[in-house]
Amino acid sequence: MNKYIRWIGAAVVVLIWVALTGAAWFGSDEAYSISERRDLLQWPGDPNPSGYSDVSKKDWPGLTTETVMDTTFMQAFEDYTTEQFPLRDKFRQVKALFHYNALMQKDNNNIYVVDGYAAQMDTFTDTDKLTATLMTFNRLYDQILKDAGCDIYTAIVPDKNYYLAPEYGYLSMDYELMLSMIHGRMPWAQHIDLTDCLTYKDYYFTDTHWRQEHLIPVAQKIAAAMGNTLPQESDFTKELIDAPFYGVHYGHAALPMDPEQLFVMNNDLLKACTVTYQDRTGKTVQLQGVYDYGRMVSSADLYDVFLSGEFGVITIDNPNATTDKELYVFRDSFGRSLTPLLLQDYRKVTLIDPRWARTIWAAGEMNPLFNLDSNDDVLFVYSTSVLNSDGIV
Amino acid sequence: MVFSSIPFLYYFLPAVVICYFLISYLVGLVFKALNRDKEQTRKATLFTKNLILLLFSLLFYGWGEPIYLFLMIGSIVMFYLCGLAIDKAQTQKAKKLWVGVSVVVSLSLLAVFKYADFFVENFNALTGLSVPFLKLALPVGISFYTFQCMSYTIDLYRGNCQVQRNIVSFGAYVSMFPQLIAGPIVRYVDVAKALDNRTHSWDRVSLGLRRFVVGLAKKIILADNLALMIQIFRDSAEPSVLFYWMYAIAFTLNIYFDFSAYSDMAIGLGKVFGFDFIENFNHPYMSKNVSEFWRRWHMSLSFWFRDYVYIPLGGNRVKFARWLFNTFAVWFLTGMWHGASWNFILWGLLYFCCLVLEKLVPAMKKLPAVLGHTYTMLVVVLGFVLFNATDLAQAGSDLACMFGFGNLPLISSQTIYYLQSYALLFVLCIVGSTSLVKNTANRLCERRGVNTVVAVLEPIILIILLLVCTGYLVDGSFSPFLYFRF
Repeated sequence: MNKYIRWIGAAVVVLIWVALTGAAWFGSDEAYSISERRDLLQWPGDPNPSGYSDVSKKDWPGLTTETVMDTTFMQAFEDYTTEQFPLRDKFRQVKALFHYNALMQKDNNNIYVVDGYAAQMDTFTDTDKLTATLMTFNRLYDQILKDAGCDIYTAIVPDKNYYLAPEYGYLSMDYELMLSMIHGRMPWAQHIDLTDCLTYKDYYFTDTHWRQEHLIPVAQKIAAAMGNTLPQESDFTKELIDAPFYGVHYGHAALPMDPEQLFVMNNDLLKACTVTYQDRTGKTVQLQGVYDYGRMVSSADLYDVFLSGEFGVITIDNPNATTDKELYVFRDSFGRSLTPLLLQDYRKVTLIDPRWARTIWAAGEMNPLFNLDSNDDVLFVYSTSVLNSDGIV
Repeated sequence: MVFSSIPFLYYFLPAVVICYFLISYLVGLVFKALNRDKEQTRKATLFTKNLILLLFSLLFYGWGEPIYLFLMIGSIVMFYLCGLAIDKAQTQKAKKLWVGVSVVVSLSLLAVFKYADFFVENFNALTGLSVPFLKLALPVGISFYTFQCMSYTIDLYRGNCQVQRNIVSFGAYVSMFPQLIAGPIVRYVDVAKALDNRTHSWDRVSLGLRRFVVGLAKKIILADNLALMIQIFRDSAEPSVLFYWMYAIAFTLNIYFDFSAYSDMAIGLGKVFGFDFIENFNHPYMSKNVSEFWRRWHMSLSFWFRDYVYIPLGGNRVKFARWLFNTFAVWFLTGMWHGASWNFILWGLLYFCCLVLEKLVPAMKKLPAVLGHTYTMLVVVLGFVLFNATDLAQAGSDLACMFGFGNLPLISSQTIYYLQSYALLFVLCIVGSTSLVKNTANRLCERRGVNTVVAVLEPIILIILLLVCTGYLVDGSFSPFLYFRF
C-alpha cells in the first residue's frame, strides 16, 4: 500500500517538475523586473522594450563559434533561464520567507526588515572610498570654493540603518569614524548634525530614501545654520503622487511587502520655479515646477518625481526668491527631495551630482557652472550609505 | 553546468530524461514493427539509451569547458583502445604493457593539467630558476574520470571484468554526467552489467527522485548557506577567536554537505537511468577514530587507493617499515589528489600521522565514545582548516588565530550577530550529519499507521524542498560544487 502511495507521490513531484519545465520552456519572456528595476535578458529576436527610458538594455551575445568556445553564450543562456524563470518574484519570495522563518536568518542578502521597515546592512566602513571622496571635496574647495569667500556647509544624512541597527541588534558601519573623518578633513565647512532630527520612521518602508513630508525639522535645522528663513509645515501642501511606490529594497528583500505612497510638499513658490537639466542624450530639458509628474509613467523609480531624477547638473530658477542669493548643492539623491524645502531664499539653486557629471568633472569643466560670490552658499548633502558604497568618484 | 542551477534542473535534465526514455521506447517500437527478435530489440534500445547518455554527457561537460571536450573524447577513445589491446594481448607481458600505457597516459594528463605548475613552482623555489608556468586551466572532473578509466584497464588486466567492445557504452561510462565531475568514483566493474543490460521501474525512478531532491536540498539550503557564512568570515573586518572556530566548523559541515549532496544527486540520477552507484558517505562525523572516519568519508576514493595502490604495494601484510611506507604513499597521494598545493599534501599526511598513531596505540581505537568522537572531530576540523586555506601561510595564520595567537578578541559584535543568525543552521547541519534523521525515518516507517503518514508526507516534503531550492536558485545564488577543483 505504502509503495503505491510513494509511487503516486513521486508522480505528483514529477508533474510539478514537468509543469515548471513547460512554463520555463514555453512561457513568454518578461521585459522588465519591477522589483529589481532592471531590464531582463530576453530570447534573441524577441526584444520587447521595457518602456523605461532610463534603464539600460541587456544584450544577448548570440550563438556563434566564438561565443560557444569562450562560454559567453552558455553564461548568457544561464542568465536568461534564471531571469525568465516563471513566477520568478514569487519564488524569490519563497526563498526569502524560508530564509527568515525556517532558517531563522536575521537578514536576506544583507537586507533585513523590522517594524515593517526594510534596511540594508553595511557591515564594512570603506575608509578608502571615503578618503577618496574627501580628497575630491578638498580639490573642489581648492579649485573653486576657497577664493569665493562664501559659506560652506555639510549636512550628512544618516541612513535608515543608523537608527534601526542599534535598536534591533543589526550590524552597521562605524558612523562615528565616518563623521569624524568628514569633520576632520573638511575643516573649511560648517557641519550640520542631522542625526537628532530623524528617526527610522522618517524613511520609506521599502526604500533607502527619507520621506520629504517628514523633512521640515531637517530643513529648519539647515536653514537656521545657514541664516535663512525657517520653512514651516504650513508653507506647504502635502500632495499624494498617485502611483504605487516600489522602493529599492522592495526587490532586494523579496518579502511580501506592499508598495507605499509617496508624497511631495508643494506650494505656489515651487510651482513657479523652472528646473533645467541635460538629459542622457545631451538635450536640454526645462520643466515648470520642481516635481516631474511625468516620471510616474516614464521612470522605474517613483522617487524621480523629485527634480526628474539623476542628472549631473540641475538648476532651479526661483522667480519668487526673497533674496538674490545662489545656492550650490553637491549632493546624492537625498538632496533632491531636501532642496525644494530650502528654496525660498535663493534666486537660483544649482545641484551637482559628480557621479552623473563625470565627463564635466574629468574635463575640468566644472568651473563655468560656478559664479560664486560671498553672498552665496554651498551645501554638501550626502548620505552615509552613498559615501560608504558608491562614493562620488 | 552544475546540478544546482536552473538550466540543469529545468532544461538539461528534463531534456535528457525525455530523450532517454522516449527515443529508446520509439526505437523499441520500430524494431518490433520490423519484426526483429527480442534480443535485437533489447540491444537496439540499450544502444539508444547509452548513446543518448553519451551525447548529453558530452554536452554537459562541454557546456562548462568546450575546449576540453576534445580531451574527454580523446580519453574515451584512448582508454577504449587500451581496453581492446589488453583483451587482445596474448601474453601477460603485453597486457601489462597496455595497462602501463593507460596508467602513464592518465597520470600524464593529471601531471600536465593539474600538477605541472605546482612542480614548476617548487622547482623554481628550490633552484632559483624561473621556469615559466604553463597556466593551463584545470579540466573539470579530470581527477575523477582519469581514476575511473584507470580502474577499467587495471580491472581488465586483473580479469575482474570483461572488455567493453562498444565504444558508445564505454563512452557513456566514462562521461556519464551524474558522476562525471564530482564522483563518486564509479568503477567499471560496478556498472558493467548495467551498461549492457538494465531495467527501469517506477519504483527505481521514485527512489532516485527522492535521493536527488534530498541531495539538492542539502546542497542549496545547507551547504550554500554555510558557504555564505564562510565568505562573510573571510570578508569580515572584525575577526575574533570565536569567529575563527565558527568558520572552521562551518567549513567542516559545508564540505560534507556539499560533497555528500553531490553524491546523493549522482546516485539518485543513476537510479533514474538504471544504474546503482556505490555509496560515498556513511555519516563520517559519527566516527570515533580516524580509521573509522576514512571508512565513512569519500569511500569511493578510499577504496580506489586501497585496491589500486595500498594492496598492490603489499597493504598491511608486510613488515612495519614497509607498512609505514605503504601508508605514507597512500596518504601522500590522497592529499595530492585533492589539490596541487602543499596544504593538501600536509592534510593527507596529517591523517597518515593519526593512522600511524592509532596503529601504534591500539587503545586510541577503543576510547570511550565521547572522547573518541571529540578527538576525531578535532582532527577533522583542524584538518579542514588546513585543507581550505589558500596556502600554508594562511593555514598557519588560521590555526594560530583559532587558538588565540592572532592577537584577536575572543568575541566581537559581528561574531555575535552571525552566531545568532546561523545558530539554527549549525544545529540543523550537525544533527543532519548524524544518522539520527535516517534512523528516525526508518523507525517511523516500521510502525503501522505511521508509515502511511510518512508515505503521504514524503512527496509533500519533496515538493516543498524542490520549490524552496528553486527559489534560492532564482534568487541568483551561484553555487559551484567544492570538489570541481579536483
